[in-house]
Amino acid sequence: MVIVGLIFLSVGLFAQGNDDLSPQRKQAIDSLALEKVRDLSKYISIIGNKDTPWSEAQRVIERAVELFMPGSEMGVSSLSRPEVHYYKLREYFDRLMQLNYDRVVIDWYKIQYVSDLERQPDGTYVGVITVFQRFQGYDKEKGLVYEDTTKKDITVYVKRKETQIGGRLIGFWDVLLGDIRVKETSK
Amino acid sequence: MKKIPVILILLISSFYSSGQIGSVQSDESILYAQTKQINQFFRRFNGEEDVTGKRIYDTDDSFHSTKLRNKYLNILFDLSSPLITKDAREVFILEVNSKKNPVFLDFHANNWFAEVSADFTYNRKPIHMILYFKLEKERLGYKWVLSNVHTSAFNKYFKHVGDSISGENFLHPMSHELDFMTLRKMFASPDNIGYYLEKDYYPDQLALFLKEYQEGTLKFVSSNNVKFHFFQIPNWYFEVSYFNRYQNNSGWLISNMVRVNDQEKKEIIRNYTHEK
Repeated sequence: MVIVGLIFLSVGLFAQGNDDLSPQRKQAIDSLALEKVRDLSKYISIIGNKDTPWSEAQRVIERAVELFMPGSEMGVSSLSRPEVHYYKLREYFDRLMQLNYDRVVIDWYKIQYVSDLERQPDGTYVGVITVFQRFQGYDKEKGLVYEDTTKKDITVYVKRKETQIGGRLIGFWDVLLGDIRVKETSK
Repeated sequence: MKKIPVILILLISSFYSSGQIGSVQSDESILYAQTKQINQFFRRFNGEEDVTGKRIYDTDDSFHSTKLRNKYLNILFDLSSPLITKDAREVFILEVNSKKNPVFLDFHANNWFAEVSADFTYNRKPIHMILYFKLEKERLGYKWVLSNVHTSAFNKYFKHVGDSISGENFLHPMSHELDFMTLRKMFASPDNIGYYLEKDYYPDQLALFLKEYQEGTLKFVSSNNVKFHFFQIPNWYFEVSYFNRYQNNSGWLISNMVRVNDQEKKEIIRNYTHEK
C-alpha cells in the first residue's frame, strides 16, 4: 500500500479531505487512468503476440486482470454481427492468446478520449476512456488474412480510499478499470 | 467535406500530441473529428472542450464561447440525413448559440432519455424489444433506470384495448344489482377481455415485462443499437444516433430534428416511449 501511496503522490493525487474533484485533480486522475489503459494496451499486445511464450502470456494475463474491478466484462460487436457478445475478461485474454494465426500484430492509435467523471449512487466516480486498436492476423503462406480496427470504450472507476503511512491516515484516489465495449469501426 | 470541419480537423491534428498511448502511423484526422462519446457530444454542443478534446472549465475564457460552439454545432449533425435540411440546421444553431439567450444541454437534467434495442427470447423464440432508460438521482450520484419497454410480442395481450365500440362485449349498466353475476360473460372468452376495460386504459408493457422476466419465460440475449432523444431545447426535439463510418462526419450525431411546441413534444415522448 505504501508503494501505491507513493505512486499517487507522484501524480499529486492526495485528497484534500473531501470527495470533490477540482479540474487539477481530475487531470491527475485522468493521467493515472490513462497510465492503466496504456498498461492494458501493452499487455494486450504481448498476450496476442505469437512469439510470447505460454508461461509469459499467463503471467501477463494475471497482471492485466489486476487492472480491473472483479467481474468486469468485454462486450464485443463487429460490423457483420452488431449484437453485443459478452466475454469475461480472462476468457477474452485466453481467446486472444489462442487465436489461430501464424503472426498477430496489435497496434494502438495515438488518439484517446477521456470523458468527464460522473458519480454513481455510492459516491464512486465513473468515466470512460476511448482508444482505437488495429489488429492484423497473418498466415505463413497467404500473408495478411484478417485486419480490423476497433474502438474500445473502457470504464474507469475512481474511488477515494485511505491508507496509513507512518502512522498517519492518508486519503488517496484509487483507479480501477471496468467493463470494456469493443466495437469494430468501419473501414 | 465541408469547410468548417476541414479547419477544425487541421487544428485538431496539429495540436494533439501529448499523452498518446499508441504508435499507429496513419491519418487519424477522422478519429479526431468523430464524436466518440455522448459525453463528447455534450461537451461539443456546449462549447466545453478545445479542439484537442481537452476539457474547458468555467474558469477558462473560451468556456461556452459562441465562436467555439459555432464550429462544433456544425459538425454535430448527420450531414447525409434527408430529415434535416440546411435551413433547419442553421435556424437551430442560431437559436441555441444566440449571444443573448444561449441554450445548453444538461447531462443531469430531465427531458432526455436513451432507447436501447435488445434481443430476448420469449417462450424460447427470439424477439426484439426496445428498452427506454432515463437518468435518476440517488444518494451521492446518478444511475440509468428502466422507464419503459416495448415489444410487438406483447401486443396480443392487449387486443381490443381502446376500441370505441364493444359490440356485444360489455357489462350492462344494471349489473351491480345482480352482484355482477354478468362477470361470467366477461370471462367467457380471453380474446374479448380487452373490450371490458375502461377506454382510457393504456397497456403497461413494463408490468408484463417484469412478470415474464421473473417467471423465466423472457430471457435477455443481447443489446445492439442505442439512440438518445433530447427534449431540452425549447421548440426543438432531436435524436442522436451513432454513425459507424469512415468519414469525418461520424460517431454520435443528430440524426433527426423537428421543430415542435410543448404539446407536440409531449406527443413525441408518448410515441417513443409508448406511454400514456
